Amino acid sequence: MTISRNENEQVLIEPSINSVRISIKIKQSDEIENILVDKFTGFLTKRAENFIILRRVPTPGYDISFLLTNYHNEIMLKNKLIDFVIEFMEDVDKEISEMKLFLNARARFIAEAYLTVFD
Amino acid sequence: MLQLESENLLIQETFSKAFEANYEPTNLDRIITDFDFTTYHISTPELKTKILFSIKIKCFEDLVKYGVFEILKLKYSTPNITILSEPQQGYDFSLYIDIENLKFNNEDEKLELIENLSLLKRNCFSAPFLKAFNRYDELSKLSPPDPNNLYGVDNITSDTNKEEVLTISYRDLESIYIKPSNDRVTVIFSTIFKDETDKVLSKVFLQEFSDARKRSVQKAPQVINSHKEPPLEIRHLIRPTTSEGQTSYITFVLFPRHLTQAARWNTITHIQLFRSYFHYHIKIAKCYLHQRMRYRVSGFMKVLNRAKIDSDEGELAADGSGVKERKTATGRRFEVRI
Repeated sequence: MTISRNENEQVLIEPSINSVRISIKIKQSDEIENILVDKFTGFLTKRAENFIILRRVPTPGYDISFLLTNYHNEIMLKNKLIDFVIEFMEDVDKEISEMKLFLNARARFIAEAYLTVFD
Repeated sequence: MLQLESENLLIQETFSKAFEANYEPTNLDRIITDFDFTTYHISTPELKTKILFSIKIKCFEDLVKYGVFEILKLKYSTPNITILSEPQQGYDFSLYIDIENLKFNNEDEKLELIENLSLLKRNCFSAPFLKAFNRYDELSKLSPPDPNNLYGVDNITSDTNKEEVLTISYRDLESIYIKPSNDRVTVIFSTIFKDETDKVLSKVFLQEFSDARKRSVQKAPQVINSHKEPPLEIRHLIRPTTSEGQTSYITFVLFPRHLTQAARWNTITHIQLFRSYFHYHIKIAKCYLHQRMRYRVSGFMKVLNRAKIDSDEGELAADGSGVKERKTATGRRFEVRI
């Protein structure tokens, strides 16, 4: 099952007998967002063993995949898991755009600081 | 620390200690590094009171071409310092300072000497800039800039386009090009980013550098940047190298305002440090972003752990009704009976 806002933002949900795989494609409209998303998912997947529901390698075409198996369902509350996935999706977008804004603001500040010295 | 200082702090400290009245002479052997492959060496080869201060710069040959020795002689010709005609082996320029024979008329003079010593790198690098600025003076007298040419449109036929471009190859594959003209001096930096991420970030930063002038700092030099394509002024100088296509070119147009005798040294000091400043801030921004992502990741982790059922407190009741089993301190169980 695919839910998509547009071709850059998609969620793929694949159910099976004992597990559900959720793959997320995060919005990337330019080079900078691309890098940010890449780094961010890199950080996440490097910690995949602590992040038990996370897959190390995402499904091709997506940025990050979660695999919820029946085992996870046993040790965790189902509704909290769903909460997590939804919160994750919301926050990632927000975080990426915030970081991008920060970068631009920082660059502007740096440039001005350098150039004002010439006066 | 927003701005990079052009003085070298270590040198400053070494000499301010050495020049103090109650200084106890000791053996010194310090190797200090600075930006752009600069190495200093402070040592006491003969006597503890005689300090040898040497500098090595990667592109010293280029600097010699543009008259670095004249500048250095001008800067360091004080009775307190001896300039060695033969620099220390392995170094490009050496100064010899005898602490016992130092004469200062007042405290300020001493501080000035210390500052001057710590600015040795800047003074070395200033040679080509000064040469270009002096050339600009001559050119502007020869053919005063056309006051009607408000936007600085290049007159292709004018002789100034044939002006020699001064080149400093200050790093392996990166260079500074300086071109004087009758109404401006153009300084072009070529720089390479090893990392793909840095390259993208550099684009953001450079964009802001070019925009900053339009927005708020009208007095600043104009900044033009281009990736891959070298600017017209230096196109004939670029050798085809393996790094082609990776180099970014940043052009600074220095206007007469920046070239007056008073503003000159300020301009030189700052423009030299551009590459270091630029790279340094890209690294900082990256560092901050990483920190932030790490924090976020740990935040997500917390959210996920909240979903876990705490195994210490109890497990789900066998019937799966979601009611937790509870125990007293002694381990007795409660059972909820309906």
